[in-house]
Amino acid sequence: MKIAVLSESPADEAAIHVLIAGLLGRQTQPIEPSRQLRTRGWPAVLQVIPAELKRLHYYLTDTYAFAVVVDADNSPLHQSAHEAPGGEVAKCRLCQLRQVVAKTQNQLSPVPGRAPLQIAIGTAVPSIEAWYRCGLEPHINEITCLQNPQIGLDFHTRNQLKRYVYGTERPSLTLATQRAIEAAQCLVQSLSVLESLFPNGFGALARDVRCWTLG
Amino acid sequence: MIELMKFRNFKVLRDTQLPLSRFTLIVGPNGSGKSTAMQALRFVAQPGPFQFTQVATLGLLPTTTETVEVVLRWGVPHEGVVTTTHWGSGGWSRSHAKCSGANLSEREEQSLYMKLAGIRIYSLHTNAIAAPVGLSPNPELREDGGAFAGVLDQLRDREPERFEALNEELGRWLPEFDRILFDTPSSGHRAFLLRTRKGRHALPATDLSQGTLLALTILTLAYLPDPPPIVCLEEPDRGIHPRLLRHVQDALYRLSYPESVGEVRQPVQVLATTHSPYFLDLFKDHPEEIVIAHKVGQEARFERLSDQPAIAEMLGEAPLGEIWYSGILGGVPVES
Repeated sequence: MKIAVLSESPADEAAIHVLIAGLLGRQTQPIEPSRQLRTRGWPAVLQVIPAELKRLHYYLTDTYAFAVVVDADNSPLHQSAHEAPGGEVAKCRLCQLRQVVAKTQNQLSPVPGRAPLQIAIGTAVPSIEAWYRCGLEPHINEITCLQNPQIGLDFHTRNQLKRYVYGTERPSLTLATQRAIEAAQCLVQSLSVLESLFPNGFGALARDVRCWTLG
Repeated sequence: MIELMKFRNFKVLRDTQLPLSRFTLIVGPNGSGKSTAMQALRFVAQPGPFQFTQVATLGLLPTTTETVEVVLRWGVPHEGVVTTTHWGSGGWSRSHAKCSGANLSEREEQSLYMKLAGIRIYSLHTNAIAAPVGLSPNPELREDGGAFAGVLDQLRDREPERFEALNEELGRWLPEFDRILFDTPSSGHRAFLLRTRKGRHALPATDLSQGTLLALTILTLAYLPDPPPIVCLEEPDRGIHPRLLRHVQDALYRLSYPESVGEVRQPVQVLATTHSPYFLDLFKDHPEEIVIAHKVGQEARFERLSDQPAIAEMLGEAPLGEIWYSGILGGVPVES
């Protein structure tokens, strides 16, 4: 099962593959390295998604699903109220991602033999390192971030999370990838805890993945 | 480590100061004093050969009242020490002093001298990097990248584990290659080649792309067992694909923060310049490492990004490089 993942770094993407495999209970496969996307952070993610969806739909037709996970940083946290019709919040990254995906998918023409591309979208609050420290840093979860939106803005908090996860604020890509995979492999053992502490950001991703119609 | 450089009448740096960290990245328009600040380090290390007119702001005459001055304020392990270099009508002078007024020990003086003598300002040229090198006992990477084959050869012979780690890292940076090989193109000369992962063909250095040569040189610098104490790098992103810049950042951090990769050696103070928004993007979480060079008329001044008010709010969601390119942070050319 080939899955295209778009996140903020190759390290995060490696971890997301592990988490998705854990949610599905089966192995997944990334798309070919030469075809993997890389963006310059949040606004660029929104800009490339339409092109990527078209590429996956029309050309990389053996790709089963597309998963996008971005850091929430200091953006408004996604909440269940946003799920109601008309409840989308303009600056909520999850809402924005869903809107751009839905709009693009509506523009795609059917391709004979191409099953609908499955989608999963999540946001990490305030950054994906918080997931890796799930349960270990009691003050870093969606509820505390909701109560204190400054957490997502604060370089200190973001760098502190990096120190906890990687042992340094400046992890090399190799180290970051290794630790991200290790952390994700641990999280797979307790996905329900991750979902309870990050019910909207990770929870959204998990719910999307569980809705995939597995062939 | 040098914590601060202060300039008076030094070329375009008429009256400004440059705050430095273990790693500092300076961005700014052409002619905004980025390279001049690096050059000042060379002049402080070896003030003798330079005349007043070579270091002074254009049009400045060596009168008794106007002198050129570069001051270095040192941090760990030389806290409280200041090195002052003057050029004036009577020639030059350089002195080290403690802010407390206490005298420096001979050992401290020696240590500072070694630091200054060890400053290297790399402006890499691919022809120099690729050129075969005459064998010598202790080859050192020249500031243009010359003697590179000799440095690699020595690393292989004296530090085989490091050389292996370098090969592994090369494979991560440039997956099409898996190994550095050597050749003897003529008696007493050494050249290097890269072996392709597929087909195991050996490509001579002279046939490698410019970006490959530049990337390999920066990578190797980070794997040297005893790198220079202070490294200045002009545009380490030059010629390198934007997607590889994360690796370049890793290499520079390996020099400055050796403990983060388990290296047991003194940190190297790294000072680099860039014009690449893509490279700048990578430092968004460390605004204290970014210095914006502003060009104001014929003068230039520096400002640490983290000293700009409300910088986190200003950066918001956008990539740091984009915000810099837009001009919001300053440090961009004036358009006519």
